[in-house]
Order: sequence, then structure tokens, then C-alpha cells
Amino acid sequence: MDQKTILVADDETHILNVVSLKLRNAGFRVLCARDGQEALELAQQEQPDLLITDHNMPQLSGLELCQKLHADSRFDKMPAIMLSARGFQLEECDTAASGIVMMISKPFSPRQLLAAVDQVLAA
Amino acid sequence: MIRRTQVLIAFSVAMLLSGIALVAPELYQKLPLMDDPRFGNIAAATLVLLGATAGLIALRQVGRNTKTLCRQIDAMIGVSEPSPLQTNDQMLVSLTDATNRLLLANARSLAESKRKMRELEIQLKVVQLEREHAESIIQSISDAVLVTDPWDELVLANESAARALGFKLSPEGRVPLEGLLHDQKLVSLIREMRASRSQGGRRIVEHRTRSGGEDRTFKVTLSCLAGDRKEGGGVVAVLHDMTREAEVAQMKNDFVSHVSHELRRPLASIKAYVEMLIDGEAGDEKQKGEFYDVIQNEANRLGRLIDNILDISRIESGVVKINKQPLSVTVVVKESLEIITPQANGKRISVKDQIAPAIYQTMADKDMVHRAVLNLLSNAVKYTPEGGTISVSTHVDETAKLITIRIADTGVGIPPKDLPYVFDKFYRVEANNRMAKGTGLGLSLVKHIVETVHHGRVFVDSTVGQGSTFGIELSLC
Repeated sequence: MDQKTILVADDETHILNVVSLKLRNAGFRVLCARDGQEALELAQQEQPDLLITDHNMPQLSGLELCQKLHADSRFDKMPAIMLSARGFQLEECDTAASGIVMMISKPFSPRQLLAAVDQVLAA
Repeated sequence: MIRRTQVLIAFSVAMLLSGIALVAPELYQKLPLMDDPRFGNIAAATLVLLGATAGLIALRQVGRNTKTLCRQIDAMIGVSEPSPLQTNDQMLVSLTDATNRLLLANARSLAESKRKMRELEIQLKVVQLEREHAESIIQSISDAVLVTDPWDELVLANESAARALGFKLSPEGRVPLEGLLHDQKLVSLIREMRASRSQGGRRIVEHRTRSGGEDRTFKVTLSCLAGDRKEGGGVVAVLHDMTREAEVAQMKNDFVSHVSHELRRPLASIKAYVEMLIDGEAGDEKQKGEFYDVIQNEANRLGRLIDNILDISRIESGVVKINKQPLSVTVVVKESLEIITPQANGKRISVKDQIAPAIYQTMADKDMVHRAVLNLLSNAVKYTPEGGTISVSTHVDETAKLITIRIADTGVGIPPKDLPYVFDKFYRVEANNRMAKGTGLGLSLVKHIVETVHHGRVFVDSTVGQGSTFGIELSLC
């Protein structure tokens, strides 16, 4: 089985570190981005299989990032998992054009995140 | 003075003698000179003349006395305490007495009327004063007050109402409300209340309107005035400007959501790393050590956040006890630097310091100054991008007996339009909102601690894109 590539975007260093460590330990190739713009560029370069992104980021928000990528034909099949503050609601119309398949609220459990990743990639 | 009675007696005697002469002339003939017929005629004529004269005198006397009496009466007109009329004339005595009684009665009733009128004047003055008092009370009320009558005309309004609703107060009577106010919604609210005639009832409504060029929110309290059964009474409307209160309520809501968001961040890190440790995801001892450090630092960060929030509310409510002791500024600054260094390292920000010797002391509450310095350092780290620099320096002015702490960063800077407000509670610089999240309370706490509690000074200097320098100035012991 190919090694899958996951792009993780979050402006918080610690979160980025913990998520990438967990996923690497699980055998994934992990790319890290500190903001939406960096994530966009990395995605275009590397074409990941999955995007995990925070919502509140400088430059480009998580939602905008997903929408931009989804609009690009190269990425319209790429699923996205969004990490967000609890209570944060996305309008249905927003999720439709973004490729976001799951929302996980912070604080989150790395275990559950891994399980979610497996679930999404299996689908 | 010839008395009338004497005249009358004389006249009567003369008549009697004349009468006797006519009836029994022979009686006179016995008297000397009486047998002369000429003498008899002369006597008769004299008697008649005497009689007529007596009559005339008598009549004239009556006339004169009456005139005197009339003059006296005239003199009594309008006099509140008339002196009794007097007359010598017995014929006029009863008239005089009666007139005196009339004059006395009139004088009494006049005095009574005057007394009553004075009483009414006093009452009127009292009522006027009360009315003026009530009006000045209404005028002094800072809320807008409008009083209308059963026909929706404005009866009374105060300055605040005129200002808030944009009309001019006019002293002329009643003006129809509809034409006076531009806020027709308010007019219909008042009209509906009046029509409802709910005696003693009160209606409270939130009402938005344009006032003084801005949209403002008012709490309108409407009450019906008692009136006669057919017409009903008017309405009193009191408008309380709650725009600020509504804004503050909104800010508090925003604050609560900001706070929870802020608290969640370090917590998320802690939880995630703890779980990683439990699951044995840490590769080696070194990595485990790094994890422990992160957990500890984030826990500290969380603690500081909570302290910040608690401090603000405690200081606000005046609960905090201030404990001023001689304090070495150097020590406080160094301690704060130690705390902030891990966070700075995490962003590869270099921290330089140039701190005066420890001997310089200020009279201050250590915890508070510590908090203030820490808040400034924490901000410097937050708003400085990766690879930047923070410089901390202290400067002593021995002449002015002041010590100044300066914290300069190479961060995003603050736009000029925001600079005057950065120390305000809840104020957040919008331009930097994406850079870092905050409660908007950190700087206001610094200002409160330095200026209000320690009578020092806070200041800031900033250039967008280059960085900011925040300063604290305190007096030396």
C-alpha cells in the first residue's frame, strides 16, 4: 500500500507537532504548514491525499483554504478534516463547496484524530 | 345754633295764637293794643310771616343735616373700617343708625372677602411653586420625559427629551405629538398606550431610534395618567438610553467567548501531549522531556490566562488588597523574562536585556508589577513574528526619581488610529486580530496597575510593520 500524504495546517506549533508526530508514527507522510497560504502552496506542490486544517489561521482561514483547493480540479476529490473551536458552526452551503467531510472540535484527542483519518481515507 | 325743635315749638305757638285769633277774636280785644283793628292785621301778618319763616328754617335745617350726613356717608365709601356716622338731627337719627349698621356689615364682609382673597393668593402661590418644583424635577431628570394629554398633544417635556428626540421645547401650550417628533414609531407607541387606558399599568418596551445622528437603543417606560372616565388620561413616557448598556452587554458576551477560546488553546496542547505520553508515542527520553516541557509551559500559560482574567475582575470589584513594599524592579523584570523565554524560544524570537542594577527600588506591590511586566512581555512575544527580537531595558533618572522599563519588539506594530485606545478594556486592534488572539484585557490591567494603583505612567510608541515599544514608569523610593 502506498504511503499516504497528509497535509496539516495549524498556526499553533504544539498542535502541529503533536498531530504530525502521531500521524508519522502511524506510518503517514506528513507535511506541515503554519498558515493557510503556506498550506495552499504545499498542497499545490505535493498533492496530498488528505488535508487536516485548523479554522482560525492568519493569511487564509481554514475554510477559505478548503474552498480554494476544492475549486481546483486537481483537489476536488481530496477530503478535508477541520479542527475548530467548540461551538463553531459552518453553514451547509459552505461545507458543500469545500470538501470538508468531518469537523473535530478542540481540545481533541490524537487517538480520535487518527481514527478519523483512517476512516476518511478508507472511504 | 337754633335747634329745630325750638323752631317748631315757636311755629306751633304762633299757629295756635293765630288760630285763637281767628276763632275767638274777642279774647285778644282785652289785651292792650288789641282793640286797634290795624294792630290785629299787623299781628296776624307777623304771625303768618313768623310761621313761614320758622317753617323755612326748619326745612333748611333738615336739608343741611341731610347733606352733612350724605357727606359723611360718601367719606365712608371703600373704607374698611368706617367710623360711625353722626348727626345732631333727631329726625335723621334712625336713618343714621341704620346706615351705620349697613356700613359696619359691609365693612365686615369686605374684610372677610379680602381675607379670603389673600388666602387664595397664598394657595395659588403654593400651587405654582409646587408646579415649578415638579417641573424642575422633571427637567433635572437625565432620562427623556414626555407627558401627553388625552388628545396626543405634548403637555410637558424636558431638555433631555428635546435633545434625544430632536425637537425644540416651546413654552406655548400643547403641540400635537405627531407633527413634533420625527420618530413616528414612538408616537404610535404613545397613542396605543393612551388608547389602552390601562390605569396604573406600565409597559416597558425596547425601542431603537435615530438620535443625535446615531442609532441608539432606548428602554421606554409608558404609563397611563388617570383622567376622567370619558376621555381617559394622557401618557407619561420615560426614555432611558441603554445603548451603552447594550454595547457593554455585547462586549461582555464577546469577552466570554474570547476567553473560552483563549483558554481552550493551551488546554488543547496539554491534553494532546498527555495522551501521546499515555499512548507511548514519545520516541525517546529526549522527546518525552520535550513533551513534559510543553505540558508544563502550556499549563503555566493557562494559569497566567486565568490569573489575568481573575485579576481583572477582582481589581474591578475592589477586592484585591494592595501590598506595597520596597521592590527591586530589576528582580521583577528578570523573573518575568525567565517565564516568557520558553514561549519566545518556541517562535525563535531572541530576547535581549539591558537592565539597571538591582539597587534601584520602587514602592510597589510585587505581584501586580510582576503581572504588568509579564503582560507586556507576553504581548511582545504574541505580536512578533518568528525570528524577531524583543529588547527589554530599564532606565533610571536619579534627578526625577523615576525608573522606566521599556519593552521593544520587532513585531507587527499598531496603526496610529488604534494607539490612543490600546489601553482601553476589551479594546483589540483589528488589524492584528489574525496575528494573535487576546482578551483585550491585558493592557488595561497594566494601565490600571501602573497608573491607578502605583501612580506611575504607561506609554506606547509604535510603527506598523516595524514594531512597538511599551513602557512603564514608576517612582523610585
